[in-house]
Amino acid sequence: MTTLALRWVHRNLFAKPFDAALSLVVIPLLAWAVYAFGYWVLVQAHWQVVGGSFKVLMTGIYPADQLWRAWFSVATLCAMFGAGLGLSLRPGRSALTSVAVLAILISAAVATAIDVHSGMLTAASAALGIAAWIGAHRWAVDQRIVLSGLLAGVVAIFVVVSPPGFEVWGGLLLSVVLTIAVSILTLPFGILLALGRQSRITSLRVISTAYIETMRSVPLILVVYWIWIIVPLLAPDTSVPGLLRGMAGFALFFAAYVAEYVRSGLQAVPKGQIEAAKSLAMSSWTLNVDIVLPQALRVVVPSLVGQILDIFNGATLVFIIGLTDFLRAGQMILADPQNSGRTYEIYVFLFAVYLAIGGAITYASRRLEAHLARGSR
Amino acid sequence: MSTEIAEYHSIPPARRGLLIAFKWLVQAAIVIAVAGLVIWLGLAVREALARKGIQFSFGYLGNVANFSLSEGVVPSFAGGWPILEPFSPSNTNLQALFAGLWNSLKVALSAIVLCTMFGTLVGIGRLSTNWLVRNLCFGLVEAIRNTPLLIQIVFWYFAVVLRFPPASAASNWFGGLLASRSGVFLPGLAVSERAGAASWGLLAAAFALVAACVILRGLRLRLIFLAAAIAALIVAAVIGFPLGLDLPVATRFGARGGFAISPEMTALLIAIVVNSSAYVAEIVRGAIESLPKGQWEASASLGLSRSHTLRDIILPQVFRIVLPSLANRYISLTKDTSLGIAIGFPDLFNVYGTVSNQTGRNLEGVVIVMLTYLALSWIISACVNGLNARVNGRRTR
Repeated sequence: MTTLALRWVHRNLFAKPFDAALSLVVIPLLAWAVYAFGYWVLVQAHWQVVGGSFKVLMTGIYPADQLWRAWFSVATLCAMFGAGLGLSLRPGRSALTSVAVLAILISAAVATAIDVHSGMLTAASAALGIAAWIGAHRWAVDQRIVLSGLLAGVVAIFVVVSPPGFEVWGGLLLSVVLTIAVSILTLPFGILLALGRQSRITSLRVISTAYIETMRSVPLILVVYWIWIIVPLLAPDTSVPGLLRGMAGFALFFAAYVAEYVRSGLQAVPKGQIEAAKSLAMSSWTLNVDIVLPQALRVVVPSLVGQILDIFNGATLVFIIGLTDFLRAGQMILADPQNSGRTYEIYVFLFAVYLAIGGAITYASRRLEAHLARGSR
Repeated sequence: MSTEIAEYHSIPPARRGLLIAFKWLVQAAIVIAVAGLVIWLGLAVREALARKGIQFSFGYLGNVANFSLSEGVVPSFAGGWPILEPFSPSNTNLQALFAGLWNSLKVALSAIVLCTMFGTLVGIGRLSTNWLVRNLCFGLVEAIRNTPLLIQIVFWYFAVVLRFPPASAASNWFGGLLASRSGVFLPGLAVSERAGAASWGLLAAAFALVAACVILRGLRLRLIFLAAAIAALIVAAVIGFPLGLDLPVATRFGARGGFAISPEMTALLIAIVVNSSAYVAEIVRGAIESLPKGQWEASASLGLSRSHTLRDIILPQVFRIVLPSLANRYISLTKDTSLGIAIGFPDLFNVYGTVSNQTGRNLEGVVIVMLTYLALSWIISACVNGLNARVNGRRTR
């Protein structure tokens, strides 16, 4: 065992003089950084500030007596995520164990930081997710059923969470729901734009190209701000909530990116198939809907999942239109003079949550890529 | 086009004309629909503005701005010479937007240079034979790419830069660099009083010669030019060099001298450089991995070391492959500078916000800002495309 370890160290850390020198510089630095950070996390940090403001971080000013609505969305999201996993990933023993351990840890953390009640609800949501994962895999559900189920879940979340009013949405809830809604909204619009850009009708092609290129060369924050300003001018008699205006801005912006992904997928479809379909006198509508799009979308699914990460990360920009997303909620807690010394605690917590969600999305996109590559060959 | 004509041949002539007419009709319908949408938007907006008593016009750009910016310069004339002077509230709105653009460009250009350097290093680090370095670089890149840029910016500002020691106790690194919560101060260049016109001329000549070296081809010519540039510099130094090193000095109320970078710009620059480096690292790594493995093996069998192979064989090719992806990264990075508004950095978008709040002219402003960003994107991709053609031109033809 020790010889094996020594050989590993020799081969991976001290193979050459340069490697050895690098290792000798990096190892002490890393050890010091890990020690300093670990000491701070375990001994010095005052994590009560996170526990004490957990409700604000997660839901903003959402009314406390309506929180069951937020819990409903958590449970639905877990189930949707589980079902999605079930489509692409076999629930092997190690995967299930690690998810279960993770769920127990998170539930325990929530229970100690906030209250036992929330911890139990977290655990129940996690269990529902695992059940959906096993279920979707066991019964090998048709992809179309799962997709419509996901869509129904999104609509259900929106319907259940909406009643207290869009103004009170906040925290992580706002970031997540915004991300999901925008991801779905951009899809049809992006596909149409991609088809438009490939169209033989010149005017359609020029207009689609101009739209995509313009959107891709201006900052997201400008588009969101501008849509937010222009909507009240266009509809002076009705007051559209800021959140919906923000969503419109995000959707208009990210549709251009979806269009580019889809276009790359369209180009991946072999030309011969299109020519074959044309020689069979197929109309261009049937050609696109039945032959080209299914294959093109299949190729770009990993990129589209990766795009969800961009939308989630971009959702922090809603501060420009006065909404309180997860990051902004953290900043508001720090604005309270009582918490002014707790900067690092709050930021480390925010970073950890963003990293966990972002990492999960990246992981899903990679798994999907591997999964689809296996099937298509 | 040719396929369309070929298709028409199979259709009887009488129907062919009808089909072509139908296609034109479709084209016209699309154009009319989109034009109608745009005109409706314009009219609705104009009507809404008219209700508020505002007319769509760019006349407000000439009005006095009446607000101040924490940094930013405007062009002006002093004794017939164009100079840059700090923005003041008596300047016009147009000059304010220029100052904002200047600030955006300042951050964007520095970030482009720095992130290319660091990104390449990290990208090579991700392929290191050292397990620790490789995985450290991987972890760094993943952590940065999976968290929002905005939280990185506010973190660097509120949790790092604003926690620097106060100006009176500024940390002094490497003799010349001062870091305090009122900004970072680097050694700068100062014009010395004893400089004559001749030494200025020699300095300019040296610059021109070096620039010519970069543009020209041919080793001999380049060497001659380089030697001439060095000679010009030496002569300039002997007869009184026009520029001197200006080291910053810490005082009780801040620092004096040197090249000052505001805390906002420091945080924004660090955040954007760190963030973009992660993306550049992935671009570089992808390009290195896309090169045939056989090249590594071939050069190893010729007895070249790994670092030698990397420097002389791999990196020159990588440079050609990464250019288009780098252009996209540079464009994103330039757009990302607009997030400076979150920490109060007066970039173009921030100044636009201030101007439109003061004047109520959002739409005119947004047109200007959008066109500016469009132009910046085009300029960056034109530059990189030009470089791409220069680098790859000989190979494709």
